[in-house]
Amino acid sequence: MDSPAANAAFSKQIGLTFPLLSDMNHKMLKTYGILKGYNVQDDTYEWALRANIIVDKQGIIQFVEEGDDAVNPNTALTMCTTLHKKDGAK
Amino acid sequence: MKCTIALGLLLAAALAAAPVAPQAEKSQVAKMTLKVGDTAPDFTLLSDQWKTVKLSDYRGKKNVFLAVYVLAFTGG
Repeated sequence: MDSPAANAAFSKQIGLTFPLLSDMNHKMLKTYGILKGYNVQDDTYEWALRANIIVDKQGIIQFVEEGDDAVNPNTALTMCTTLHKKDGAK
Repeated sequence: MKCTIALGLLLAAALAAAPVAPQAEKSQVAKMTLKVGDTAPDFTLLSDQWKTVKLSDYRGKKNVFLAVYVLAFTGG
């Protein structure tokens, strides 16, 4: 949701080594069903869930966790390792 | 780390847009529409380096870890 400039500043601040992507028009979030609407009094606000998604080399989703489950990435990282080992075995 | 993370997706949302009012109520059940086994819909987004990143560019090359992480600066 943040701009590339804001993401760049955040990335630099904490020293990330992977790209941070901006979905300014919420297109990806809507496609993936991650953007949700919340009613607050008379208005609706759109808000993204936290989610971890792993897509394999064939473009197939191999892992999904969302909401509170997605706060800790360790399960997803374990899945990454498993996929990596599978790739190595081929 | 022997992980095949090719890409991290972080969508830090602006705090000002947060539904902070205590009377906020969820209008929808929070559930993703995609599940394991589905083909990941393609997307093209701008990176923090202002470069276009397309999911399908990784097809046949790398596994991709997408982390949608709103409010990343909160530490929670």
